[in-house]
Amino acid sequence: MIRIFLKRKSSPIANSSIPVAFWALAVLVLGGCTPQEIVFRSNELHVASLSVDSEDKEIKELAELAQSQVNAMFGTPDLPKWPEGIDMAVDFEKVKRSAGPVGRNKTKVESGLYRKHCVQCHGTTGDGMGPTSALLAPYPRDFRRGSFKFKSTPIGKKPTHADLVRTLVNGLPGTAMPAFGTLNRSQEYSEDVDALAQYVRFLSIRGEVERRLIVALINAEDVADLGIQIATNVAGSWSSAEAAVAVVPNLDEGMVLGDEHMEAVARGKEIFMSELTACSKCHGKAGDGKGASQDFDDWTKDWTIRAGIDPTKKSEWKSMKRFGALKPVIDHSRNLTLGAFRGGSSRDDIYRRIVLGIEGSPMPAVARKENDNPGVTEQGIQDLVEYVLSLSEASYGN
Amino acid sequence: MGTDTEAKWVFRWAALVSFLTFPLIWLGGLVTTHDAGMAVPDWPGTFGYNLFLYPMSAWVYGPFDLFVEHGHRLLASVVGLFAIGLCIVAYRNEPRRWLVSTCFLFLLAIIVQGVLGGVRVLFDARTIAMIHGCSGPLVFALGSFIAMASSSRWQRAASTRGGNGIGKLAVFLFVLSIVQLLVGAHLRHSLPTWLPVFFMSLVHTHLLLATLIFLAVLSCSVFVRRGGNRVFRELRVPSNALLGIVFVQILLGFATWIANYATPWVELTPWLARYTVQGKGFWESMIVTGHQATGSLLIVCSLWLTCRAYRRVLLSKPERSLSFKEQDFVPSNYQSKAASIGVE
Repeated sequence: MIRIFLKRKSSPIANSSIPVAFWALAVLVLGGCTPQEIVFRSNELHVASLSVDSEDKEIKELAELAQSQVNAMFGTPDLPKWPEGIDMAVDFEKVKRSAGPVGRNKTKVESGLYRKHCVQCHGTTGDGMGPTSALLAPYPRDFRRGSFKFKSTPIGKKPTHADLVRTLVNGLPGTAMPAFGTLNRSQEYSEDVDALAQYVRFLSIRGEVERRLIVALINAEDVADLGIQIATNVAGSWSSAEAAVAVVPNLDEGMVLGDEHMEAVARGKEIFMSELTACSKCHGKAGDGKGASQDFDDWTKDWTIRAGIDPTKKSEWKSMKRFGALKPVIDHSRNLTLGAFRGGSSRDDIYRRIVLGIEGSPMPAVARKENDNPGVTEQGIQDLVEYVLSLSEASYGN
Repeated sequence: MGTDTEAKWVFRWAALVSFLTFPLIWLGGLVTTHDAGMAVPDWPGTFGYNLFLYPMSAWVYGPFDLFVEHGHRLLASVVGLFAIGLCIVAYRNEPRRWLVSTCFLFLLAIIVQGVLGGVRVLFDARTIAMIHGCSGPLVFALGSFIAMASSSRWQRAASTRGGNGIGKLAVFLFVLSIVQLLVGAHLRHSLPTWLPVFFMSLVHTHLLLATLIFLAVLSCSVFVRRGGNRVFRELRVPSNALLGIVFVQILLGFATWIANYATPWVELTPWLARYTVQGKGFWESMIVTGHQATGSLLIVCSLWLTCRAYRRVLLSKPERSLSFKEQDFVPSNYQSKAASIGVE
């Protein structure tokens, strides 16, 4: 039958569709099906941003040198390990469960959780450069800087385990970051989210150690024992995160209604518009995110502005694409009237964002009034929370 | 040669097997959506049990990925058994040798497909999973073709002068749908080692092909509606089905992106801004899997249109004598029927 179709010159199928389909198939098979070993990617972008004038070969060699040192300490994506002589800053059994290929063993325990749920966006290395990353807005988080946006600790401190779990369970509205609440509610998967948070912590420690080793290598320091020393410091900063958690009053329980609420909103509006907080400069006077001041996030500035590259000029930043850089995108201020707060929309969540800021983003922590220093009082912050929430309540009855 | 009643059994079996293959494809899609390909680490058994003897309670009340993967295997076995039945029925009752051969080819395709699924498990090879995912809809199309060729409508087909255009368009659409399937399967099975630029190129190719398919389906629809005569009216059923499917598919495509990655235009509406992707959520899984399964329906329906159009192209060439194989493809009673409606 097939021969009948193909032999006849007048047959529709014998037209140019066949070669086109053949070549399309060939390109797909050769281009996409070729399996490659899954390895941690070296951080060439960081090396390149620190030594802009170096040759590509030098950059790659230095990145690979740092990578080999880090791999010796932390193992591979299939067989992770914890550096000897360093206090454990992760639950390593859970790290091992999250690592490796996806599947269940003979006892039905599932492993490879990170590859199942995270790798497509965050990448094997946790560098935020998974296959889908270039198409997402905002880009997936690069864990290697050790910076996380939505947490209960101040800027400069690591997130707690509970912070990571909260992001995993609730997701981030308006972004590609999913909520794994379904997993968390299920008896079968209840430990999965916990294990994933541990693996994110592991990847972040590994990535930050690599970044610091690169700096040491560029400064021509002796890295023989330096790796362990750096790893000790980075792991220690994670272990001490719990102690840095900011105290948040339970605003949802103590919320006021009626005239008292309206007065709080009016006071909050004054603070929002004031020079002291400068909220309206970025978020706009209407809170619609259309303020004059917009900036890039620290993940972008890391390889652009800090390296003397203007992220608004393609002629300057495109040279970094070959090291894996994605197109710089402005981290726009949130449109508060939509009621979509990525770090959570409860009063306590908004309070945290105001008091702690959003690490890595242009959103700073508010200056608090202490002694004679100018700043916002505790009551002022609570009023600001009421005003921010009122913006979306007025528009959409949040 | 079998009687008409006996020949109908071939159609019934073929239709049944095709009908069962569609949920099999859906279940296979769920396996991919939930990354459940390795939920059962052995093959052909299930956790050391014979496939059919694995305890029902462990299957139904076990983890969802295990439920999906084992269910996929069970349904695949059922389809395989029915395909054997189809071969027996066709061998005993079907006079057209090429159709009997196609039934055996279908059985072989199902066996190969099953082995591919097994090899994917034994070697934990995602590349083979991708090939398995690509060939599934093609096997479905082959089964559907047997159902089409053994149907009474196929035998009642009449000739059409000037039907070449729609035939070519339908073949073009069929080929496009298959290429789209390959691109889609790549997107579904993307490997962690891929560079972002490769994935982005695939997404753009997928969108370009979707536009071409939409235009091709629209052209088919216009072509068929403008034809006007009785024969073109017969092409309206697959043409309308294609139109409906392509609209559903485009909607599912948008929904799939949102279900997987939210939307880039979050500030468009408060709903989009507040929407949080649900990791492995039920509706999200259904939308994503539905997009894939509807893609296989698109292939089958474009084949359906191709077959109906092409049958008429063949029958509209009575001026020269048909070759032996064409006579086999177009039985003598059809040729006499073509002559009876004025085509010599």
